[in-house]
Amino acid sequence: MKEILTALGRIFIRMPIGMLVVLKHLFKKPVTLDYPRKKKPMAPRFMGRQYLERYDDGSERCVSCGLCAAACPADCIYMEPAENEKGERYAKVFEINLLRCIFCGFCEEACPEEAIFMGHHYEFSADNRDSFIWTKEDMLVKHPRKDNPFKTLFRRVRKVYGVGEKKG
Amino acid sequence: MSEVVKEKITAVDTVTCTIDGQQITVPRGTSVFDAAGQIGIVIPAFCNHAKLKPVGACRMCYVEIEKMPKLQVSCATMATDGMVVSTNSQQVREGRKAVIEFTLINHPLDCPTCDKGGECDLQDLTFDHGYDDSRFGFDKMRFIEEEKRDTFDDLKIGPEIVLNRNRCILCYKCVRANKEAFGEYDIGAFERGDLTEINATPGGEVSNPFSGNLVEICPVGALTNSDWRYKIRVWLTKTVPSICNFSGSGTNITFYKEDHKNFVYRVTSRCNDAIDDGWLSDITRYGYQIVNSESRLKTPLIKKGGKQVKASWDEALAVIKKHMGQIKDQSGGVCIGGLISPSLDNASLYSFSKLFRTVFKSNNIDFRGDYRYLPSVTDSLFTIAASQPFSISDIEKSDVIITFGTDLIREHHNEYLKIRRAVNFYNSTVYSVNPYAVKTADIAKSEMVYSPGTDELVINGICLVAIEKKLVNSSAAAKLKSKISKLSPGVLAKLTGLSKEQFEELAEAISSAKKVTFIVGEIVARSLDRDKICAALSNLNKLFGVQDKGQLAVLSRYANSKGAQKLGLSATPYEIVKDELKKIWGEYPDCQPRNTDAMINLMKKEEIKGFITVGANPMRLYPDRSFASEGLEHVDFLVACDMFETETTELADVVLPLCSWAEYDGDYINLEGKVQTGKQAIKPKYESKAAFEIMELIARQLGAKLFENEQVKNEEIEKLLKLDSVLPWPDDFLKIEYEKKSSQDGYPVPLFICDDPHHSGHLTEKSPSLLNFSDSAYVELSKGLAAKIGVADGDPLRVESPVGKIVVPAKISPVLNSDVAIIPRNFSSTQTTSLLMRKKRVDSVKLTRVEE
Amino acid sequence: MTFYSPVLTNAKEIAGHDKLHLFEFVEDEKQYQLKRYLKHGGYAAWKTVLGKMKPEEVIEEVKKSGLRGRGGAGFPTGMKWSFVPKDSPKERYLCCNADESEPGTCKDRVLMERDPHVVIEGMAIGAYAIGCHLMFCYIRGEFHHCIERIEKATEEAYSKGHLGKNIYGSGYDLEMIIHTGAGAYMCGEETGLLNSIEGEKGMARIRPPFPAIEGLWECPTIVNNVESLAAVPHIINRGADWYRSMGTEKSAGTKLFSLSGHINRPGNYEVELGFSLQKLIYDSNYGNGISDGKKLKAVIPGGVSTPFLTPDKVDVPLDYESLTEAGSMLGSGGVIVLHEDTCIVWTILKLIKFFRHESCGKCTPCREGTGWLEQIIQKIEDGRGGPDDLEKLDSICGNILGRTICPLGDAAVMPIQSTLKDWRDEWLYHIEHKKCLVKQDFGF
Repeated sequence: MKEILTALGRIFIRMPIGMLVVLKHLFKKPVTLDYPRKKKPMAPRFMGRQYLERYDDGSERCVSCGLCAAACPADCIYMEPAENEKGERYAKVFEINLLRCIFCGFCEEACPEEAIFMGHHYEFSADNRDSFIWTKEDMLVKHPRKDNPFKTLFRRVRKVYGVGEKKG
Repeated sequence: MSEVVKEKITAVDTVTCTIDGQQITVPRGTSVFDAAGQIGIVIPAFCNHAKLKPVGACRMCYVEIEKMPKLQVSCATMATDGMVVSTNSQQVREGRKAVIEFTLINHPLDCPTCDKGGECDLQDLTFDHGYDDSRFGFDKMRFIEEEKRDTFDDLKIGPEIVLNRNRCILCYKCVRANKEAFGEYDIGAFERGDLTEINATPGGEVSNPFSGNLVEICPVGALTNSDWRYKIRVWLTKTVPSICNFSGSGTNITFYKEDHKNFVYRVTSRCNDAIDDGWLSDITRYGYQIVNSESRLKTPLIKKGGKQVKASWDEALAVIKKHMGQIKDQSGGVCIGGLISPSLDNASLYSFSKLFRTVFKSNNIDFRGDYRYLPSVTDSLFTIAASQPFSISDIEKSDVIITFGTDLIREHHNEYLKIRRAVNFYNSTVYSVNPYAVKTADIAKSEMVYSPGTDELVINGICLVAIEKKLVNSSAAAKLKSKISKLSPGVLAKLTGLSKEQFEELAEAISSAKKVTFIVGEIVARSLDRDKICAALSNLNKLFGVQDKGQLAVLSRYANSKGAQKLGLSATPYEIVKDELKKIWGEYPDCQPRNTDAMINLMKKEEIKGFITVGANPMRLYPDRSFASEGLEHVDFLVACDMFETETTELADVVLPLCSWAEYDGDYINLEGKVQTGKQAIKPKYESKAAFEIMELIARQLGAKLFENEQVKNEEIEKLLKLDSVLPWPDDFLKIEYEKKSSQDGYPVPLFICDDPHHSGHLTEKSPSLLNFSDSAYVELSKGLAAKIGVADGDPLRVESPVGKIVVPAKISPVLNSDVAIIPRNFSSTQTTSLLMRKKRVDSVKLTRVEE
Repeated sequence: MTFYSPVLTNAKEIAGHDKLHLFEFVEDEKQYQLKRYLKHGGYAAWKTVLGKMKPEEVIEEVKKSGLRGRGGAGFPTGMKWSFVPKDSPKERYLCCNADESEPGTCKDRVLMERDPHVVIEGMAIGAYAIGCHLMFCYIRGEFHHCIERIEKATEEAYSKGHLGKNIYGSGYDLEMIIHTGAGAYMCGEETGLLNSIEGEKGMARIRPPFPAIEGLWECPTIVNNVESLAAVPHIINRGADWYRSMGTEKSAGTKLFSLSGHINRPGNYEVELGFSLQKLIYDSNYGNGISDGKKLKAVIPGGVSTPFLTPDKVDVPLDYESLTEAGSMLGSGGVIVLHEDTCIVWTILKLIKFFRHESCGKCTPCREGTGWLEQIIQKIEDGRGGPDDLEKLDSICGNILGRTICPLGDAAVMPIQSTLKDWRDEWLYHIEHKKCLVKQDFGF
């Protein structure tokens, strides 16, 4: 007798409750996206593939100091510094092996020139291993980012002219 | 100061003080800084340098001393008895904090672009002692270089030195080292207060032969050199201890290498007080670049149809087997000769000797490719003089130092600096006696310039005057008097161009000195009459007892000249070496020994048919180019091993690529006779092989075997090195005849061929940095001579000798004061040795202006 | 003819005075000529010394007189001379420090311009005492007229045999070189001066070794102030006891004071040591009171490198010990008087600007610290000061004081420290109200 009552209870009370959940979800917005036609906006602090920032005047920020490479726990950054025609230091070679990268963001934190940033880009699958080695050309942005929080990072300095130099 | 330090050497009295609770006894005159260092307490400092006088500028090395109210700088405070020092008290820590804070006020935080990052004293000490945050809320000072980004205010102040004045913390180490250690004044401090800047002297550039040291001692990245600039971070490199391959004294160096790229990034010093005091010459510092050079020989080359083509080692060795075997079988091994560079390591030299003497059974080997015609093959007195013991560190302990026939800044940089140190820190007296004015003279008490080719007369003059003045033992004097020529000191003075007073000055200096150092150099060693000069030196040594109270030696010029001598690489090795070799090998060829000159002569007669050069370049360095080239062209089969294409490899039938000294472990014997090891830094580049490997391969091709294994080789070398290689001077005084040599008419100016201060031998011209200092030959003249000829600095000048003619730009020397011409031999673009005649004591030339 | 430096002196008072002596003939327009100098008893001491005295006796006499260095530190002159090693085989040198560059001090200049021979005579006696045969007179480059006068006087002395070879037939040779500086404050410091003579940058050297042991070219060298040397001939002439009778027990003799600032009669006055500062300022023979009848605010007693004195401390005897007790220093005797309408912050800003400009750049605390101090004080003066700035000033001053090679670092911070202590309310007012407490209506 008791079993019958329990079974009836399941059919008439519990089942409608379950159906109600289904019914509810029927009218909710779906959590999945119609990827790749639609893409999910990323959280501001999402750490995707790295990119290299520029100064407002268009020059590269990266001076190839090697701190990101030193900070990298996966040892995936390789760089070679060089001197440009103005006598300034820049990265002649800058490579990140994304197969090894664990997207920890240490490189971004280590960068003293605010040159390397973790972007929001996460689609970089490829069919050969070589394409996972991203070079400077791949990572350097075309134009300086408008909303760069470090835009004003030019050092404020008092000018002093040395002996025998032209002023002005 | 100097007196204080002098006491340090003859330390009799000591003081005992307490540093951080530890008692220590040090010689009087030791600074608290050094005393603390001895018990392992490191006091932080920027401006203190062990080899310079204290200046107390950085104020970082504060210590607290009981009974003194203020903090004291430990670098300039001498330890006294009963002193109680505390190096880590609260007050001291705050003092240091304050200094770091002050230092950082105007120091830019551009560590990312700074090459010193990772090995910067300021970084380290800030980390250890500084505040976490800055209280300075103002803009930093900036010496601005327009049109550059804000962290790149670099200024090129020399061929290799880049200065960033913003980073400079004004420890004045560079200025002090330049002045106190190198005697150069091309860098200085200008302006005052916080505007003070280090810079090259107005209108000049920092290009002295020791300028690289300024970069090394800079505690921050204010001075960097283009060699290391923006190449690699220091923490990515590994260090390897090694030995300089360009100097005779065996400067201790450290290679910075990177394994993945198999690349040497730079050379720094590995301070060895007995040899180099931690100073490197630019040759040592930048000369390593030849290791990385792209123009190195990459594969063996074989001459096919008059053209050299690339080949594999097997092919090359097969050719050698064919031809050498043929010569050996048909004409005998005596028809094969060889010349090796004295810069190679012991194993290579010994293998070379063994290859010739046991496989070819020939005595035709030599290592002195740049010494001219030798009248006698045995060359005995010179060999004796060159074998004499010498200690570099004894230079600064000598109160009288005489440099005879040596232009130290072109030959022996370490000794040059040691002499400067002896004068500046130990009040020694230096006499410079040379056929032309040299740079050493600026610290010399008196400089004596004698007429070229009268070297032995100068020595005779000193001896005669000493006898006349009764400065020496009378019995010895009487014996000598009968031997040397009847010329009176007055006549000698006239012949040599010195005055009798100058002879007297020298004689008095030598006889009254407590400790003498008598340095004889390359001008004597390369002279035709070196035996005669060495006979005079033998007399002088005996008369004054120079070696009883000091040292007298002909310094060996190359990295392993001494080793070559000891291992019996000359055609006529020492008797004991010969005996030992006989014992080791069980055989020794009894054929005629032939040195370089004799071999080239035989080549011309086609009696030497096969010839092997290893690292040697007789075409460039033998002092008679036409003679050398004629000889080498007559050789049937020439094998040349070298790192680069040279004049000699161009003629060769087989060219084999040779390793540089950075690519294998090797032992080198410096001019003191000290064995030092240079470790392998990188794997052999391209297909090059070390010389000892090549010798072994050639031997095996000819069906023989040099060594069973490495150990046998080392044991054999060990046996030879154990021999006492100091040859005794002759027992009696020697007779010296003076023959008057008429000077060549129409060629009035004596010519000296030597190294450029920034180059050594024929290899350094492959180093880009050294080329920045000096990249082509020139003829160095005194101002007076230039005026006589009517040329200005840089004007082309025709230099003509009876046998050759070259056109080179004139360079007016600030040092020279007599009518001589000096041409460097280091540049392949100028065939300098074509002016020389092998049988001439002093070459002379005619200088004429090239009309436009 | 007029003097190039027409400052007031108390020569009238001194004439006939049996004690004051330095300025006795200073108003005599012909005193700079050898003839007039000889008439006034010149070179008598030099003759006595060469003829009758041994060098040790000269040193003993000067020691006994209690003469102390007038350049600022007040080190006993005779004692300094006796530090020259007697058995050293090296040359010895004597340098006269005529590089008077302390702001507020202009006594040596007057002495050299108007009575150059007494300086030369004093130098000669000093040179004889230490056994030196070559002496230097290092004159500030801006003192064109002094240089002219000294050069002329030297020429005259040479021509009449007071200098040169075999002076007065005694067999003693003495040469003199006049070296002009380029006007750096640093070269007034003795080791900086030595560096400058050697041709190096004018930077202080680290001590020990003291110049008396290793100075010029590592040889024993004595550096003395003009005024100390000028007193020496008088001591020889009139005896050590006479000199000793003047001044106080520990500070014997007379001293020249240069009075300047807000004072009615600015000028150079010779007084005995121990003279009251109050009297010097207010007595009609000397300062004759504060200008415009205003109230006194502060006195700098010994050149700008000494701490300021508050008005309540003005009644202090002018000698080395009493001033030290009062919290300041006698220094070089440049008394600067400031009246009530002077802004202390503004004054200190002027001082620190000077010290920053004159810092030689050798040791870190002074080189970087003075610049930092100037920027902070400028900020306060401009009304941009923050609440923690005074604390910062205190701490920076503490980090510079006693931590530098030469006294310039101390000199720069001591006035700041003293004003921060005594006029703190004024500093605070500046920071809080962003303007001066007093209304300043003048400009130097």
